Amino acid sequence: MFGIEDFWSYALILPVAVGVLLGALVLVWWERRLLGWWQDRLGPNRVGWFGSLQALADLIKLLTKDDWLPPFGDRVFFILAPIIVTAAMLLAFVVVPFTPVLVIVESNIALLWFLAMSAMAVYGVLLGGLSSNNKYALLGGLRAAAQMVTYEVFLALSILGVVMLSGSFSLVDIVENQRDGLWHFIPQALGLVIFVIAGLAETHRLPFDLPEAEHELTAGFHTEYSGMKFGLIMAAEYVALILLSCLIVILFFGGWLGPSFLPPVVWFGIKVVIVINFFILLRAAIPRPRYDQLMSLGWKILLPLTLVNILATGAWVLGTQG
Amino acid sequence: MTPLILFYVAGFVTLASAILAITRTNASHALIYLVVALLAIAVIFFLLGSPFAAALQIVVYAGAIVVLFLFVVMMLNLGKSSVARERELLTRGIWTLPSLLALVLFAVVLFALVSGDHEAGAQARMIEPKEVGIALYTKYVLAVELAGVLLLAALVGAYHLGRRYLADRREEEESS
Amino acid sequence: MALPQEAAQEPPGIVSDLITRFGESTRLQTTVDDYPTVWVDRENIQDVLRFLKHDADTPYELLYDLSAIDERLRKHRDGQPASEFTVFYHLMSLSGDHDLRVKVALQDDDLHLKSVESIYPVANWYEREAFDMFGVQFDEHPNLRRILTPPLWEGHPLRKEHPARATEMEPYQYSEEFQDAQQEALKFVPEEWGMSRDAKHTDFMFLNLGPNHPSVHGVFRIALQLDGEVIVQAVPDIGYHHRGQEKMAERQSWHTYIPYTDRIDYLGGVMNNLPYVMNVERMAGITVPDRAQVIRVMLSECFRIASHLLFYGTFAQDVGQMSPVFYMFADRERLFSIIEAITGGRMHPSWFRIGGVTQDLPDGWYEMVTDFCDYMPKRLDHYEKMSLQNKILQRRTKGIGAYNTAEGLDWGITGPSLRATGSDWDLRKNRPYSSYDQFEFDIPTASNGDSYDRCVVRVEEIRQSLRIIRQCAENMPSGPYKADHRSTTPPPKERTMEHIETLIHHFLNVSWGPVVPPCESETLVEATKGWMGFYSISDGGGMAYRSRVRTPSFPALQQIPFISNGFMVADLIAIIASIDFVMADVDR
Repeated sequence: MFGIEDFWSYALILPVAVGVLLGALVLVWWERRLLGWWQDRLGPNRVGWFGSLQALADLIKLLTKDDWLPPFGDRVFFILAPIIVTAAMLLAFVVVPFTPVLVIVESNIALLWFLAMSAMAVYGVLLGGLSSNNKYALLGGLRAAAQMVTYEVFLALSILGVVMLSGSFSLVDIVENQRDGLWHFIPQALGLVIFVIAGLAETHRLPFDLPEAEHELTAGFHTEYSGMKFGLIMAAEYVALILLSCLIVILFFGGWLGPSFLPPVVWFGIKVVIVINFFILLRAAIPRPRYDQLMSLGWKILLPLTLVNILATGAWVLGTQG
Repeated sequence: MTPLILFYVAGFVTLASAILAITRTNASHALIYLVVALLAIAVIFFLLGSPFAAALQIVVYAGAIVVLFLFVVMMLNLGKSSVARERELLTRGIWTLPSLLALVLFAVVLFALVSGDHEAGAQARMIEPKEVGIALYTKYVLAVELAGVLLLAALVGAYHLGRRYLADRREEEESS
Repeated sequence: MALPQEAAQEPPGIVSDLITRFGESTRLQTTVDDYPTVWVDRENIQDVLRFLKHDADTPYELLYDLSAIDERLRKHRDGQPASEFTVFYHLMSLSGDHDLRVKVALQDDDLHLKSVESIYPVANWYEREAFDMFGVQFDEHPNLRRILTPPLWEGHPLRKEHPARATEMEPYQYSEEFQDAQQEALKFVPEEWGMSRDAKHTDFMFLNLGPNHPSVHGVFRIALQLDGEVIVQAVPDIGYHHRGQEKMAERQSWHTYIPYTDRIDYLGGVMNNLPYVMNVERMAGITVPDRAQVIRVMLSECFRIASHLLFYGTFAQDVGQMSPVFYMFADRERLFSIIEAITGGRMHPSWFRIGGVTQDLPDGWYEMVTDFCDYMPKRLDHYEKMSLQNKILQRRTKGIGAYNTAEGLDWGITGPSLRATGSDWDLRKNRPYSSYDQFEFDIPTASNGDSYDRCVVRVEEIRQSLRIIRQCAENMPSGPYKADHRSTTPPPKERTMEHIETLIHHFLNVSWGPVVPPCESETLVEATKGWMGFYSISDGGGMAYRSRVRTPSFPALQQIPFISNGFMVADLIAIIASIDFVMADVDR
């Protein structure tokens, strides 16, 4: 793991981190434009070409805002929380292979690392809710804890089918396994659906944004946040969306694979953008279930389904590969 | 050489945060130190050649179990009064005996480290997730089954407690 | 067609019944709205209302309104018992389709009356309002405290000695101590509402939802007692939007009060003008020409659609569906462009006048209106697929916040929210006004009375309104748009320049406004959110002596705790979204 031959790949850390954060910034603008288009309105169109500098302007605003700490809260945790979410999401990118060579650490536990980091992100949300000493934040934090811990289970279980088919936790191996056979979204369609649902719950985006549910909890766990601390939480949300889309492309849609007239990294990028647009479409279209409905959806429907998926995939693997 | 230094750093962090986790009077602070301790242990697992165990340590212990502890702490809404009560609990009379016992245990470990044969532990080797799986379902299959039964029992127990709570609540509502 | 609203038939014998049961002191008063109005002794009020609700031949299920009149400066009280403060109860029998107004005389030095809250639950807030506005003490009331004015307000605003304008008062001071005291007084204390802070297994959390919260639709505050996320008890707190509409009616001329009515239900636009001008027309004896009546119907239905569209969009938005509200605002914008072309205004055109409307319809109105009628149904089908048929939205709203017709009437619920429970009572059908009897349309109903049904009924009402609007456009009568009567406002300009007489007449009618003979009258219409009514008393002057505004949103908010207890916070949001209220309509 710490061999000198890997050393050059550590040089990728900075470009990847900056790239992902820039991607999040562009995504903020892109999502608003896309939503505006779908919802018969303009969206940001004043700053820069088609409003493309809007996110930058927002960033400048957030950076120059008064850095306010709630005097009634737990100051250390309050500052720590946004750092934890952002750091956890960025750390997860360490194992994401954009192409076979464009990867910081190629590990045989890459998938587990992704799960571990998304588990760590819970702390950011939870501590943010706890340290704000605000009832809406507390309710948001409680929802977040229950929702994210629950859906982590299905997130992990839903990809076991893919792992079985590939026989590895390594993301590179998983993509390579799709080179000759079908891409996993066909044999693992059920796994894909569950992964998407669990991933949405894990990133708490609109249909499942219960921890922040604007109409119920004003802003949920980040009610008290402002300035760049809020900016970090927001950035983490978009980084998580990019991460989730990358994972979906890698696990189910053959990662960088594609006809050779385009380089692998372009194929990867195209697929990721399509998946991201799909998530934005979901946000525009679907209403938010109630907290207990989301929970019972998980435990009563998704859990049996994932187990059936694992059983069936296991049987199939056993039958075909001996 | 690098792994050795990392090991000692991780070991120190584990111990320090474990001690802090015990002595903090604010429950949520204590839990965060516990998380740090668990993460440090995960690093140790990693250095000892079992990335699989390291990842599971983070996912399961830090990522789920302590989160639930924190969840409960949030639900209980512990305020300043509970911090004061915790402080009272940590009188010398209470912590002396457990500390002494822990010291004895520490002495035994020290003795074992100094005198005993610890070659086996030093042979750090990469353990693939596959090996772990094979070991669990062949050599230790009985243990896995037993753990399964134990978890099932816990599940049934939790269900029972939850149901009794709901029944109590219903009675309360009807009487009021 | 004599009067805009046909008088309700007098129930045979109910008044003589009351006289035989409750003694000779029970007296009858006549009003121009032809509602039987009886005066009863204050000792008997509970018995009278209990009899009327439970034992009358056609039970009076609905306590439609309750308020008071400060009679001390009133000159024309012919035949009425001596009274300084009169508390009136407006009862309605939906089964028998008739009204009864019960009045109780009180003297200023002994303003005590028994509460009827145990008979009609809806009376709770109305009695608090009467206490707040007039200082009438309702004995046996569980929690008689101010409701519309701040807790530390001095005086009772609707008493005649209370100033109506800021210029009649000391300059306003706002010190830090004053602010602290006010804030302290607004603090929610659970014990004051009979709530405990903990139970056997749990400590309750008290959550202050509002007055500024994304989904309370204005400045509405509701204090929640929560067990986890489950609502144990809720206490709505209103009054943050109170502007003294009724007090203002006492200082504006009959004509210049019209723009104020627009702001009562600010989504209803000219729909608010309608009951007011119809009421004044009845009091002044004006007959409105057919063309004006049909124009009024058309504009009112346009505003019903605009209001329901906003409801529809925010309803979907409050259960977390992001997009519909944008589409519906775009449609609303099309509607407003028509309204703007006709009236010149958008949300508050104040376009109806005593005796008719401001102007005739502009050229090209027909094409605009029929185009909209062609365009809208397709959009509605689209929204139905997007929102109402969405499974998540259905799960969020079906079975949430349900009540039946009897419970709805107990709480004073009227309009679409009542029709969602299966009742088909619609004033446009049951008591047609302003030529509604000339139109073909259906009254949509639903059966479960839950949040989902309240939305379904309103969506269907949009379709019916489109039908009415199309019939208006196809069959618009010709003729004048304003009645030829000396009290219509403003008087026709083209007649002023004839000679000095007409000029003086015009000048007086514009500057002082019309004079309405002394009388009492109430007029109700089926407004966007339920029944809206003006009960005005003229003392023979250019202004109302007292104008009571009864709005549908006020009782709907009072009902919230009783349909949301036991549900979760998210359900409360769905319930609030389904009620379709406007805070200006609640607080007035």
